[in-house]
Amino acid sequence: MSITLAASLLNPNFGLVIWITIVFVLLLVVLRRFAWGPITKALEEREQTIDASIQRAEQALAEAKQIQADNEKARREAEQEAQRLLREAREEVERLRNDEVQKTRDQIQQMRTQAQAEIEREKQSALEELRTEVADLAIQAAEKILTENLDGDRQRKLVQGFIDDLPKN
Amino acid sequence: MKLFRVLFLALLAGFLSVPPANAAAEGEDLDPIHHSADGYYLDFMPIGKVELPRLFLVRRADGSLGFDAYGSTASALHSHEYVPEAGHGAEDDAHGETADEGHGEEAGIEALIASGLHLDAHLVPADGGHVIIDFSVTRHLVFAILGALLVILIFTSLARRYARGIGRETAPKGVFQNLFETLVLFVRDEIARPNLGEKHYRKFLPYLLTAFFFILICNLLGLVPFGATATSNLMITAVLATTTFILTQVNGSKDHWMHVLWPPGVPTFVKPILIPVEIMGLFTKPIALAIRLFANLTAGHLVILSLIGLIFSFGKIFGPGVGYGVAPVSIAFSLFIYLLELLVSFIQAYIFTMLSALFIGMAVAEHDHHHDEAHDDHHHAALHPAEHAASAQPIIGNGAEQPQPVAVA
Repeated sequence: MSITLAASLLNPNFGLVIWITIVFVLLLVVLRRFAWGPITKALEEREQTIDASIQRAEQALAEAKQIQADNEKARREAEQEAQRLLREAREEVERLRNDEVQKTRDQIQQMRTQAQAEIEREKQSALEELRTEVADLAIQAAEKILTENLDGDRQRKLVQGFIDDLPKN
Repeated sequence: MKLFRVLFLALLAGFLSVPPANAAAEGEDLDPIHHSADGYYLDFMPIGKVELPRLFLVRRADGSLGFDAYGSTASALHSHEYVPEAGHGAEDDAHGETADEGHGEEAGIEALIASGLHLDAHLVPADGGHVIIDFSVTRHLVFAILGALLVILIFTSLARRYARGIGRETAPKGVFQNLFETLVLFVRDEIARPNLGEKHYRKFLPYLLTAFFFILICNLLGLVPFGATATSNLMITAVLATTTFILTQVNGSKDHWMHVLWPPGVPTFVKPILIPVEIMGLFTKPIALAIRLFANLTAGHLVILSLIGLIFSFGKIFGPGVGYGVAPVSIAFSLFIYLLELLVSFIQAYIFTMLSALFIGMAVAEHDHHHDEAHDDHHHAALHPAEHAASAQPIIGNGAEQPQPVAVA
């Protein structure tokens, strides 16, 4: 007996079309509700978390770099400050020492000048005294001589003229 | 990794061993078409065949509507409500049958069932009515449902993992999650986003993901021993393509319809020529989608079955020795095609989804017309279809250069 065979690649089958439509629409609804929603949401959440984390990390890195730069700057400033202070202190010490030396020198100079002046004055007074003493001695000597020869007044005049002719020093 | 390899080799060995054993058991020639086509049974040969339920929406002889359900084709025949439709040029047989009422008919049915040919018969109501819609469960429907259930199972359990926080707050863990997350992200970032744009992709992502994984799983089920490829059925691919078509038209922007019904950027006298082309273009896209998927998945199986069939052809023509001699060559070639099929399974799932996204993207995109018209000539000259298909923002006023999807396959 010969029959029409159903097996054919291009056999239209509207029952199958309806079945598959139902299956596919149900699949779409179920997956949309129970799978794709949660999955895509979770993936997006994760991506946002990762993005946020990267941003935070970058911010933190930038902050850290900023802080490091600040620290470096502060350290350099502190170093410069310390060096400046040290230099200033040295200069101060130098200046103070120089001042001290100068002052001492001045004092010495002054003392020397004073001593010289003193010596001069002493010398002058000694000379004056000496001159007077000498004059007196001369007068006494002359008196002794002239008592023998002259009177006193004439002799005194002679001696005075002699003394005046003496050099002042 | 090791598990996959073992599994893969097991499947391969099973697949390669089944058709010859099947043919041997049936004592018939290996018919690739017959094995690729849909049927009302699950083929577990050489173990056996499982007949599927037959459901008929019928208009009975008296004009009333009826619905008949049988557990199997055999029980439908046994009920005498349905008989195999007589074929063309079978008048002698039909004559003989009518002459041999009652007992002879019963014997004929028994003989038919025993031969196994009843499963390929086209059943018609015995009372003279006709079947309006044959809702019978077919092999491809079973595997489509199986595929759908697998997809649901995979992705609801994946969703539960994310709900537990694995992959949401932490890195995804394990082969399962990483594998499917990669695919989901691929569909989202490589298919949906570039073709639909940031503005629209979220809306269509569920459809694209569903289509991609349903097609992929159905494709792969066809490579499993005793499996059948639901996507090698034109009816099923047509339903998928129709879904894309409906989504495209329902979500079409004003620009999309403007582009179809009054193409901008061309002289008015050209428009009467272009408008029918554009309208045809609306339908060729989903038709091409359906045929591409169907043809690719069918072709691979036909090639494998044909290569296996070579063993029996040579055996029959030149003797069993030559048949055995040809077997290693045939098996090596079918192994190669099998691996190709594995690749094709992924590629076709990708192409279907990619083109769906592209078509929807073209329809939902809103254009700056002044800009487009000003540069229209330039675009006509500069873009060829491949670039056009790849561009995320298709250019309007370019109907004659619509991507020709068949060329992609």
